[in-house]
This record gives sequence, structure tokens and C-alpha cells, in this order.
Amino acid sequence: MDAAELKAYEELQPIHPDPASFLRRYVFSLDHKVIAKQFLWSGLIFLLVGGTLAMMIRWQWAYPGQPVPVLGSLLLKNSNGVIGPATYMTVFTMHGLIMIFFAITPILIGAFGNYCIPLMIGARDMAFPFLNLASFWTFALSLVLVICSFFGQLGAAGAGWTTYPPLSTNIGTPGNGQTFMVAAIFVTGVSSIMGGINYVTTVIRHRAPGMGYFRMPLTVWGLWLTAILNVLFVPVLGSAALLLFLDRVFGTQFFIAGAAAVKGGGDPILFQHLFWIFGHPEVYILILPAWGIVSDILSFFSRKPANWYRGSVYAMCLVTVLSAVVYGHHMFMTGMNPLLGQSFMLLTLIISVPAEVLFLNWLRTIWSGSIRTDPPMLFALGMVFVFGLGGLTGLYLGATVPDIYLHDTMFVVGHFHLTMAAASFMGSLAAIYYWFPKMFGRTMSPGLGKLHFWWSVVLITLVFTGQLIAGYAGQSRRLYDPYQYSFLQHLRPLNQYTSYAAFILLAGQFVFIYNFIHSMAAGPKASDNPWSVGTLEWFTTSPPPHHNFDRVPVVLRGPHEFADPEVRERLGRDWIGQAEVLPDAAALPATSRGA
Amino acid sequence: MSAQAATVLPYRPPRARNDATAFLGLLLFLGSWAMMFSALFFAYGVVRAHAGSWPPEGTPRLPLLLPGLNTLVIGASSLVLQRALASARAGRTAQVRPAVMGATALGLVFLAAQGLLWSRLWSEGLRIDGGPYPSVFWALTVFHALHVLVGLGGLAYLASRSAGYGPARHLALRLWTGFWHFVGAVWLVLYLAVFVI
Repeated sequence: MDAAELKAYEELQPIHPDPASFLRRYVFSLDHKVIAKQFLWSGLIFLLVGGTLAMMIRWQWAYPGQPVPVLGSLLLKNSNGVIGPATYMTVFTMHGLIMIFFAITPILIGAFGNYCIPLMIGARDMAFPFLNLASFWTFALSLVLVICSFFGQLGAAGAGWTTYPPLSTNIGTPGNGQTFMVAAIFVTGVSSIMGGINYVTTVIRHRAPGMGYFRMPLTVWGLWLTAILNVLFVPVLGSAALLLFLDRVFGTQFFIAGAAAVKGGGDPILFQHLFWIFGHPEVYILILPAWGIVSDILSFFSRKPANWYRGSVYAMCLVTVLSAVVYGHHMFMTGMNPLLGQSFMLLTLIISVPAEVLFLNWLRTIWSGSIRTDPPMLFALGMVFVFGLGGLTGLYLGATVPDIYLHDTMFVVGHFHLTMAAASFMGSLAAIYYWFPKMFGRTMSPGLGKLHFWWSVVLITLVFTGQLIAGYAGQSRRLYDPYQYSFLQHLRPLNQYTSYAAFILLAGQFVFIYNFIHSMAAGPKASDNPWSVGTLEWFTTSPPPHHNFDRVPVVLRGPHEFADPEVRERLGRDWIGQAEVLPDAAALPATSRGA
Repeated sequence: MSAQAATVLPYRPPRARNDATAFLGLLLFLGSWAMMFSALFFAYGVVRAHAGSWPPEGTPRLPLLLPGLNTLVIGASSLVLQRALASARAGRTAQVRPAVMGATALGLVFLAAQGLLWSRLWSEGLRIDGGPYPSVFWALTVFHALHVLVGLGGLAYLASRSAGYGPARHLALRLWTGFWHFVGAVWLVLYLAVFVI
């Protein structure tokens, strides 16, 4: 690479001076690292809100109709602490929507997408810094709408996270809580699209010299494919939310049918199509970043190159493509031409092939590696475990015949919580423990991290396998009081044990909250490269300067260069940076040649 | 070392490079919008396929002539704007601003004609809450008109911008032209799908 070429790269992303004012620096910042932290904080706070709502659901399934301890006296004063049927609807609806759109999405995509993509491809910022700022503040507006929904007339949104009409129209859920939530989904969708466009463009245009697509860390691959899905499919959710909003506010009749429609009438099933055309890509939007992050971390902490790197890339690309053509498996029970149902079943089951490639690559990456059991690695392994459980239970639901029995049972709830909740949660925590030293320049306590891991992985497995068993025994999801059905009464002890596990799981998260906040304020200072890893973000200071890199790095090799005998001979370590020049053998003094 | 570096970057000035990046961003935005409008047209198709008769009996028919002429207006506006972009590229900077103003004026004519159409149909009794047929008409045309409004804001900014245009200085013009063509193309599909068929 000659000087003129390097100059072109430097000119492309010039170093801007650090912003001086407080507002420009911390509030309306254009810096992708600051915006990432804004997304991280919002996501973590709403994760706690969503988790609290989950505890209320678990209380209801263990002790239906009894006053909720602690939370009941705070939040449910009007009903003496008891969750009433209408309140129960709003609790599980808000739990689902908050967790998906306002907790996992901002943490995995908003925070780590923003933080990792420019640093890992050697860029000084996103391609469109102002769009990035707009994306966060649009997201903040949607958070305001969510909070408004909690104070809506007749309570918050209560039509389930899927928001199916006719329940979600004015007939099923009158009151503006539902309307606020539909608006919040639209607005957060706009934010996701803005972020997605930024990520896609940044990866295409701002990779450092030498950073070919097949030298990008798998984290970047996962986030990039996620961004592509966001750009293409979030608008479809946007259209569904828009039409539902018009139905609710302006009296259009897109989704209202039957006796409720005065002249003609729309089609409630139309909403299901629009929702799941988006909804199935969405589940991969939530898991692809975690797949990428875990693929990298497993390699870094096994001190081995990732097994069949290109295979993992191809598998993730194939999953991305297939995710667009399988949505019908959510509608087997809606009523569908059997031939169409079989086609969707076939396509759905084909997804397990690339997923299996990824899974085997993870196992072969850690096979006979020198495994370091730091918290990021533990959480990555935990993600592999819970995702394995979630993936296997998905086979039952993807095939039409068992789905007829299992549809709308707690088995479905257990399945998608193991994949979307448990696996994304484990992936997010792996990412937080892994990049914390880079983000905040300090180190988290590894002992508390390990305690947090074992506490979480055991209990999260118990919670969601408990749901699988209840569902297999026939318990429908979303029941206010399952024990009104005599055939479910014997499940009371199972549901109670599952609820205890959930309560203890939540209690364990306070270990993390303490560790996170305490380490940020008073943890030991982190070195620039505490994990001895070769990707670009570890070759700048911790935390990185405003412009990330003083000089644009020139990338020479892939992200997982471990255990190379030549590197060991010349540098005396088992890893080498992506942009690090390996010294010539001849230039080394004779003694260090490892005679 | 250079053998290992995969990318070879032929020298182009940073401004041209950043322009190309911005244009890629616009294309992605338009792809996203196209998905949104596709979903809306899909919704229209499903609602219409389920309806017994379209339009339902006793409902005023949508006129063809006024929106048809309007299609020509917004098409002409796109052509004039393309002309402005070509002038900027060729360095005929004095011709850029009048052309942008012409395109803006035609856009305003389009919106005014839409307003006329709306008020006429409203007085004929085509209300937004009168069933699926008016739902489709009002939702699609108003949502499209909001995009036209955004585009007009962009064009007004282009016309009022104090900085001149030149062969290397027309990024904003290029981006808004792309957006304006998109809005026009969506109108063409909308006219054919909702009014003609």
C-alpha cells in the first residue's frame, strides 16, 4: 500500500476535534461510542422494566388472584395488589413488546451494533453520524410513547405482543394505551431503519484498507446481516402498525370484519400476514448479532481460529435469506391451504441445516482448545446451550403435525424464550462482559461475573424448560388462571416451582447490576487489550479516543489468528493483531529464534 | 505487505467518495420505503380480493381524468428536476435554480390537484370511515401526499440554498432528485392500482 492510497483513506474520514460542550458530548453526540452507550442504558433500564412485568406474570401463574407481594402495594393499589384479568392482559402484552423492541433490540443492535461495527472494521465513525443521532432520539421518542401507554385510559396495551386484530382494534382494546403502543412500534421501527441503513452503508463503504469482507469479525457479519433484515422488513411492520393506527384513530376498516364492520369490511388475517412477514425475520434480527458475537468469543477464549469461518458466514447468509420465506409457519393454525402449509414446513425445517453448520462450528471451535473460563466465554457457552435447547424444540413447532397440538401452548412460549430471550440475553451479557473494558476503560469483577453466570444459566434453563413441560401437558399460553381447567390443576406445583426459579433468577441479576455500576465507577483500570485478542478495537486505547484510531489501520489478516507457530516463534505469543506487521525472521536476533 | 492487503483503492477525491456513500444510503432508504409501499399495496390487494364488489354499490367512483393529468404533472416535475441535475453536472450553473423552482411549482400543482380531488370526493360522501373502499383511497393517497410534502420541503431547500451548484457540488440535488423520482414512481403505481384497475 503506497502513501497516496493511505492518504486517500485518511482524507475519507478526517479526524474531527472532540466536541467541547456537555450537550454535544454526552446528549446530542454524533460519536457512535456515545450513542452506543445511550442505547445500552435505555435497553438495560427497559430490560429491568420488562423483567419486573415477567415476575408479575409468573406470580399470577403460581398464585392466581392473590395479592402480589411488594409490587402489588406499589403498582396495583386500586385492586388491593391483585392482578385483575384486564391488568393481566396489559402485563403480558407490555412484557413482550418491551423486551423485544425496547430491551433486546437496543442492547444487541443499538448498543453493540453502534459500538462494534466502526471499531472492528477500522473506521473513525459511522457513515452518517447525524443519522445515528437521529436514530437514537427517534428511539427515545418511542420510549416516551411506551411510558404514555402505561398511563393510558383503561390501562396499557392489552392485545398481546402480536397485536392481532380484532383484539387490537377499538372493539377489543378501547382506550388509548393500545394506540400509544401501536404508535411506539411505528416510531421505533423508523429508528431501527435509520440505524440499519447506517450500519449497512458503514460496512460497505468504511472498511479499513485490507479489511475484505472475509476478514471481518463474525460479530460484524452478524450485525451487518441483521441490519439488512432491518432495512427490508421493519417497513412491513411499519405498514401494519400504520394501518392499525388508522383503523383505531380514523375509523378505516383494513382489519375490522364481520358484525363490527358496517359497510363491507377488511380482513383481520391480513394483519397476521403483514406481522409475520416482518415477524419471522425479526426473530433472526434478535439472534444473528448474538450468533456473531458468540462465534467470535468462542474462538478468542479457546485460543483457536474459529472453525470454518467461511462456513459460519455462508450459514448466517443462508439463514438471512431463508428467514424471509418461512413466515407461514406462524399461521399453520390460522387456516391455510395444506399444500402451502407443507411448503412453509419444508422451508422452515431447511433452516435447521445452516443453523446446524453454525452449531457444529461452535463445537469444533472449542474442541481441544485452550479454554479460558472468563465470564464472556462462560456466557457464550451458556448461549450455545440454551440456544441448542431452543433450536431443538423449534423442530416440533416447525412441522405442521406436532404444531397442531402444540400451537398456542406454553410449549411455544418456552421455545421462543429459549431462543429469543435466553439466548439473546446470554449473548448480550457475553458482549457486555467482553467489551466492558473497552467501553468504560475499567474491568468488571470476574468472580462476580462467574457467580452471575452460574446463577443465571441454571435458573433460566429451569424457568423455560418448566414452560416447555407445562405446554406439553396442554397448558395454553396467556391463561389468566390455568387452574380453572380441571385437566391443568395438577400443573400447579410445576408452575409454582417455575415461578420460584424466575424470582431467584431476577434476584441474581442484582449481582450483575452491582458489578456493572461498581466496576464502572471504581473497577481496576483496564489495559488496552485485556483479553489478548487481535481484532482492531483492541489496538486503540481503552476507552478509545473520539476518532477511534490515530492512523487508519492497514489490515493484513483475518480476525482469529491464534496458535500460529510462526507468530509464537517471532513474537513469543499465541495471537497477532489484524493490522500488526509480523517481523521478518531474518531481522530477529538469533537468540529469540527459538533454537 | 502490499501483497496481503486485499483492497486497492484507486484515487478519487474524498468529496466524490463521500457523495457515493451518501447515494448508497439513499438507495437503501428508498429500498426500505419501497418495502413499506409494497406492503401497503399488498394490504390493498388482500382487502379488495375479499370484497364482494369493488367499488361497493352506492359509493362514488374515483375519477380518472384529474388524477391522470396529475400523473403527467408529477412526471413533468421529475423531468424538470432531472434537467436541473444534468445542468449542474455539465456546469451550466445558472440554469439549475430556475429548473428546481419549476419542479417545485409543478409539485405544488400536484398537491393542489390532490386537494381538489379530496374535497370533491369528500363532498360526494366518500368518508374515511365508510368501509374498506374509502379506507384504501384515503390511506394511500394521504400517506403518499405526506411524502410529496417532504419532497417539496427538500426542493424548497434546494431552491433557497445560497451555495451554488457545480459539476462536483450537487450532492443534495442528486439525493433529492432520487427521492422525488421515487415519490413520482409510487404515484404512478398508486394511480394504476387504485384509480385505473
